Amino acid sequence: MKRGKRKWLFFLLFLFLSFALVACSGNNEKAGGNSDDGKDEVKDTPKELVFGRGGDSTSLDPGATTEGEAFKVTVNIFENLINFGEQNTELEPGLAVDWNVSDDGLVYTFQLREGVKFHDGTDFNAEAVVVNFERWKNGNAGTSGDQTPFPYYQSMFGDNIEKVEATGEYEVQFTLKHPQAVFLKNIAMSPFAITSPAALEKYGDKINENPVGTGPYKFVEWQRNDRIVIEKFDDYWDSEYPKIDKIIFRSIPDNSARLNALKTGDVDLIDGINYSDVAAIEADSNLQIFTRPSMNVGYLGLTTTRGPLQNKLVRQALNHAVDKEAIIAAFYEGYAEPAKNPMPPVISGYNDDIEDYPYDLERAKELLAEAGYPDGFEMELWAMPVPRPYMPDGQKVAQAIANTFEQIGVKVEIVSYEWGTYLEKTAAGEADAFMLGWTGDNGDADNFLYTLLDKDNIGTNNYTYYSNDELHEILVQAQRVSDEEQRVELYKKAQEIIKEDAPWIPLVHSQPLLAGRADIKNFLPHPTGSDRLHKVEFGN
Amino acid sequence: MADISTDKMEVNLEEEQVISPWKEAWRTFRKNKLALVGGGIVTFFILLAIIGPFVVPEGIDDQKLTEARLQPPSAEYWFGTDDFGRDIFSRVVHGARISLSVGFFSVMGSIIVGSFLGILAGYYRGIVDGVISRIFDIMLAFPSILLAIGIVAVLGPSLQNALIAIAIINIPTFGRLIRSKVLSVKEEEFILAAKSIGMKDTRILFHHILPNSMPPIIVQGTLAIATAIIEAAALGFLGLGARSPKPEWGRMLADSQAYFINAPWMMIFPGLAIILTVLGFNLLGDGLRDALDPKMKT
Repeated sequence: MKRGKRKWLFFLLFLFLSFALVACSGNNEKAGGNSDDGKDEVKDTPKELVFGRGGDSTSLDPGATTEGEAFKVTVNIFENLINFGEQNTELEPGLAVDWNVSDDGLVYTFQLREGVKFHDGTDFNAEAVVVNFERWKNGNAGTSGDQTPFPYYQSMFGDNIEKVEATGEYEVQFTLKHPQAVFLKNIAMSPFAITSPAALEKYGDKINENPVGTGPYKFVEWQRNDRIVIEKFDDYWDSEYPKIDKIIFRSIPDNSARLNALKTGDVDLIDGINYSDVAAIEADSNLQIFTRPSMNVGYLGLTTTRGPLQNKLVRQALNHAVDKEAIIAAFYEGYAEPAKNPMPPVISGYNDDIEDYPYDLERAKELLAEAGYPDGFEMELWAMPVPRPYMPDGQKVAQAIANTFEQIGVKVEIVSYEWGTYLEKTAAGEADAFMLGWTGDNGDADNFLYTLLDKDNIGTNNYTYYSNDELHEILVQAQRVSDEEQRVELYKKAQEIIKEDAPWIPLVHSQPLLAGRADIKNFLPHPTGSDRLHKVEFGN
Repeated sequence: MADISTDKMEVNLEEEQVISPWKEAWRTFRKNKLALVGGGIVTFFILLAIIGPFVVPEGIDDQKLTEARLQPPSAEYWFGTDDFGRDIFSRVVHGARISLSVGFFSVMGSIIVGSFLGILAGYYRGIVDGVISRIFDIMLAFPSILLAIGIVAVLGPSLQNALIAIAIINIPTFGRLIRSKVLSVKEEEFILAAKSIGMKDTRILFHHILPNSMPPIIVQGTLAIATAIIEAAALGFLGLGARSPKPEWGRMLADSQAYFINAPWMMIFPGLAIILTVLGFNLLGDGLRDALDPKMKT
């Protein structure tokens, strides 16, 4: 046979073969899953849950990161003094059973739960709490803005915690420099979970790969970019939980591939659903959709220290050049609302009187001309490589934005990096315009406006390097007053200033969706995106 | 008896005077139906690449997010629209220019570099031949697409680098072909004659040996264009070649993945375009081989 023809035949054969293989592997997986079920004592109740998600954790040391995928795992290994409610950000007892505040709002006293053990067998007590908070505080001492080991501690507490003392075996006392209205909510945030002091000593720098907490699950292994395995901690203080013996978090970056894995039974639960797939999932009786209460914002940051973006008029012009409605119709299938503020409307203090920059390319061109760029300019537009709850497909939305930017003369090159690198580089201020987003970690306006846009947080979470002294005054004041109405007024004012300065193009508040096997029970997605899975079980 | 045989010889001589080798090749080629079909397909796509972009209704990135997203094929959108509301027909036609130029220029690159190295190796033999041939061996030891991925990974993903990578991986094929051709032609009497009258090496190489090596290069080149187009599409599919919104066919296939159930036309038409062009070049290449390769002649 002639070589050319043979090559061609090979190609066809290969195509058919691969299709056949795909079909076969699907069937095998299903068969394998079923036979596994049979081995269990109780029929149809596998005790292993495989959670498919879009990206790998960046760290297993919750204090060392601000990133959602990391917390998704750590909330099941670690616990906080205070927990959030099942599907809200109300405060509930955690490792602390009770707490009170002094009248001047400066001293918080926590009564701790007794009889709690860390996974390494050591006891949890007041001293453990002190060690953890001092680690975060001292670790940050003397470091510069863009290289803090514990960025979230820096953002949420700064140097406000004067001291943490063990005032008894199971009593711990925090003394603050200034009253902080959101102190308790901050304490409940995923990054401030308590690690075993013995493990901190044992593992040193390697603690981010060897997490030891008090949570319902203990760490087994972490294969980077593939899987993290955790299994039931037998000495968990609440003997009723966890219900499932083993949880595997698998990273499957591609949304369609992840959904396919769910359909074939490779995974049991997935996040990051393509909104276009919702109808098909609903039609499948083996699957169900879970709705996560929405508390997020997806945005395009305009780094205020770079090139033409230093000019406020340019940033406003770009704000006029994004067709949010079209993006939502196309890439969210309507499961999102356009954002005009940097925080979602469910959060107290949201300013609904703000008028968004309308989609108006003519106006955008005028503003560019006024700013001295009548012919536009060139810049990079960074798009995240992984699907996020607030951004199902960053690359595509970036293309849509690039298209309208080019219509006003702003030539855009779409750039992307591996997720960890992407976050590092944006935090270092290396991006011109970049797509990012934020899911609230404590349900307070402070966790959006101050965390993301105050000058104190440049280098940690303020990726745009936006700095405004007037805004800073307002945000700090809002942290210190305890009167809710007064706080709301301050945050409304803050949103006006931010709108005018336009360091962001707020894009959307999305409705994150998850999907799982139809027999998953008691899975309650949390608005913060960090789901505690100890109550989840399989049943009919 | 003697008379008859002389007659025959005379007849043969006459025919050979009338028909040049190229003409005879064309005759053989014309009789091959499949080859003609292949030639037709290739001509069609070349015309498409040259004039297509001027006559199609849309440019490469005319997004209509709200008005025309994921429309099935219709009178207005012949191949339907993609997830950005772009006309797939227009994009496939624009893509022809990309795929064909990647195929053509990468193979030209391989031929130029490969021929040069092959001639050096074949004509001078010795250490030059040893070094060049071993390099070829090493390159051929890699699966070609893997080597291409490696090269793009080093150079950085872009259409231009994909082209360079494809050119590089095809060099040994042409290099070896030319080398063996040079080895056989070198021993021909007319080369000895040229040498004996003191002709320079370069003149012998480029005026006598190279032209005599053309037929196999043309055949191999046509077939290599087909492979190169597939390799470019594969690199695009893996995100290592052309980047969106460039309407490279492999890239379009990759983008269609999320929609292959709801909007299969996003995948079908770029896929068909790849299949057809590759088929065309392969049929044409086979036909040319039959027509040009003396060893195949009966």
